[in-house]
Amino acid sequence: MSPRGVPARVLRLAIVLTLVFNVLALLVMVHTTPIVFTLFMFGAQPLFVIAVVLLIGAVVADLRAKDLF
Amino acid sequence: MPVAVAGAEVAVPRPHGWIGTASDWVRGLGIAFALLDVVLLVLAWRSLRSSAVTPTARGWLLVSVGLVPIMVAFLSFSHGLEASTTVNACGSCHVMTPFVQDLRNVQSTTLAATHYKNRFIPESQCYTCHSDYGLAGTFKAKVEGLGHVWRYTTGRYELPIKIASPFPNVRCLSCHAESQRFLNAAGHPKDVLPSLVDGTLPCIGCHGPAHPEQKKEARAR
Repeated sequence: MSPRGVPARVLRLAIVLTLVFNVLALLVMVHTTPIVFTLFMFGAQPLFVIAVVLLIGAVVADLRAKDLF
Repeated sequence: MPVAVAGAEVAVPRPHGWIGTASDWVRGLGIAFALLDVVLLVLAWRSLRSSAVTPTARGWLLVSVGLVPIMVAFLSFSHGLEASTTVNACGSCHVMTPFVQDLRNVQSTTLAATHYKNRFIPESQCYTCHSDYGLAGTFKAKVEGLGHVWRYTTGRYELPIKIASPFPNVRCLSCHAESQRFLNAAGHPKDVLPSLVDGTLPCIGCHGPAHPEQKKEARAR
């Protein structure tokens, strides 16, 4: 993840998305209602998937920048 | 509200085990992992620089975005799936309040209240009677629940609340079918049993009402 690879802001976005995921997960743990659980299932989990995709993209871009992939 | 019989003067708590139940542990671990991940995310954020991503930052990112959230997702899903079947979860939507109040009323003689106050169903009473047996039943109940959440949040429902389709006998029979009380009841002569099994004679027809009559009120939203 060098300067030639993915910019740090992409990784920051992944961090923010994971943070939102964690907050909604905490909400499910502390106060579970059908609405909160639905929000977690269809809001938080896709955000986490996007964060992981961004992280994988960053790793691949970094490897390509180093001619390792 | 105490776990034991609501409205009774003496409440006997249910056994809880000296280190709690599996559900307690799933919930506790889920909270711990989620809080841990928030701390790790803060560390990952602080380790990121605009010019380059250091090996330290890579480590924090891998753990905080790639690993710990998987555990959080698993524990939250597990807890949420179970917690959304409780009576409290069903009662969290105010249109369900009259049903849950009746359910917990020890004076009520409705079928639901009778099952609840005598703990014929130990827990998740709403869900047990309103979902079919097996994985397909659970999936169907969750999909229907999703529809309930959608209609509730968008206000696309009308009072009084009615059951979407006739209550199938198989939900009663999943508990009662092999019970001697059911098989030998005077009201269940042998020639009637096939009709009960194939559903042509609804259990609710003789054993209702399952819930109290709901007054027609103004649209809630």
